[in-house]
Amino acid sequence: MKSIKILGSGCANCKKLEAVAREAATRAGIEASFEKVTDMKAIMAYDLLATPGLVIDEKLVSSGRIPTQDEVRKWLAS
Amino acid sequence: MDTFLHLINGGAGNLAAYLAAHVLLCLVPAFFIAGAMAALIPKPSITRWLGRNAPYRVSYPAAAAAGSLLAVCSCTIVPLFAGIYKKGAGLGPAITFLFFAPAGNILALAYTGSILGVEFAFARFVLSLFFGIGIGLMMAVLFWRDDASHDAQTDTLFAEQADIAAPALGVLLSLIAVLIAGTLKLWPLTATLGTVTLPLPWAEAWQATLSAWVPFDAAKGEEGVSLQGSLLILLLVLIGLSAWKGLENIVEGANRWTWLALGLAAATLLVAAMRLTPSAAGLEVALTGRAVAVALAMAAVLHFARRLDADACRAWLWEAWRFVKQIFLLLVVGVFVVGIVRQLVQPEWIQTLAGRNDLLANAVAVVFGVFMYFPTLVEVPVAHMFLDLGMHRGPLLAYLMADPELSLQSILMVAAVIGRPKTFTYVALVALFSIVAGLAYGAWVDGMDRAWIVGGLTSFVGVLVAALSWLLRRRAIPARI
Repeated sequence: MKSIKILGSGCANCKKLEAVAREAATRAGIEASFEKVTDMKAIMAYDLLATPGLVIDEKLVSSGRIPTQDEVRKWLAS
Repeated sequence: MDTFLHLINGGAGNLAAYLAAHVLLCLVPAFFIAGAMAALIPKPSITRWLGRNAPYRVSYPAAAAAGSLLAVCSCTIVPLFAGIYKKGAGLGPAITFLFFAPAGNILALAYTGSILGVEFAFARFVLSLFFGIGIGLMMAVLFWRDDASHDAQTDTLFAEQADIAAPALGVLLSLIAVLIAGTLKLWPLTATLGTVTLPLPWAEAWQATLSAWVPFDAAKGEEGVSLQGSLLILLLVLIGLSAWKGLENIVEGANRWTWLALGLAAATLLVAAMRLTPSAAGLEVALTGRAVAVALAMAAVLHFARRLDADACRAWLWEAWRFVKQIFLLLVVGVFVVGIVRQLVQPEWIQTLAGRNDLLANAVAVVFGVFMYFPTLVEVPVAHMFLDLGMHRGPLLAYLMADPELSLQSILMVAAVIGRPKTFTYVALVALFSIVAGLAYGAWVDGMDRAWIVGGLTSFVGVLVAALSWLLRRRAIPARI
């Protein structure tokens, strides 16, 4: 069971990122819990300079862009 | 009932005139440029100059560059502001970044330039830069203790390095060439290279119908809709529809609609760059130097875009489309409402309050700017309305400095990151400096000696830099405020 967090204030990119991450998890057949983090203080606890951010098991794997499904699948597998 | 119809007509006419005249050659390339900046400029190429060990003569200009190049939307502004403040170069550069971002980004500059004039856009840019750095320095001097307490933090966030790739730079520069070729009113862009008359007998009648639908009074600064304008509005609607199907899921790959939308966008820019005049014989189409320049620049964009890797290309188109979705709809509504309000405001009110360039007029303009909140870019048509109604250009600039910098939303956001005392100081400084900027630009427009104004601004920033250097030496804290 992986824990996935989407960091962002709810802008278009955050929604897109969540859709990509959900799709990637389903396709890889990996069970994951999703959480949206919208509070700025909680977001800034991670080292990022632009949203949206993707956190997998408390590790920030990407920020400021929307990764492709393949990338997310690789991060989920490692 | 009549009044109501009159108001709606005012709004619709304003909207049609804006879409036909201003949007295309300026906003269409500007959206693509903003998308390219968000997707293709790697953030570390600028943020590496914003770490806590950067000397302030590097970090302040870098903060301004970040405001101009990286921060076109709030997804970047808030985290980058908080990051610079808490983990990077400190309060001063963070404030400079925050202040400069709304005025220095490409969308605001292009739009201000095409509606209020290049000189005005230039003044807005230069004065925001000067005062952005000035306010940042003052905040750093006032709250130096606060930065000293951040010493223990690490610098890893800003250590990463990256450079912009060559094809990405090519795309950006040729897009800027499209923007310049489309908007500058200079020979040889305005030259006519040849004309063709298409046998379209209905052209003149259609123009007459358009003028009847959107009556305009050139003396009041109102604009009508030309035949060319109506064609462009139709093309815009088609672009919107095809882009919805072609760009919404661009991250997963391009489809037929994507190419249709991009082709339509290119065709629209070409049509906008030509000159169509209805006459008794039909429709006279003039090929202008502008059309040739726009075509060449777009060919250059295509050339470089083909060398981008597929992911970068998709990210670019997605960001451009996201800006359109985020900004364009609100802008359309805003322009419509401005058209209605314009029918209600008496020119005498504006002329009495802000027709001159004095302290009171500038103060009124700033207070209006602070209490009004308009979505991104809507401040520009609002300013255009004020200008037409007789506002002096000095107070107008003061309003344009204060409005996007200080909305209730942005004040709350800043307060959440840096706390209330600093936020109030920031708001007071912005209000004060906007008034000074308005007075300075107004004096410039009225023909006051240029050397005085430039000298005054330069010595003002010079005094602040000297004060900061003195403070840094005296307190013996590391030079990173």
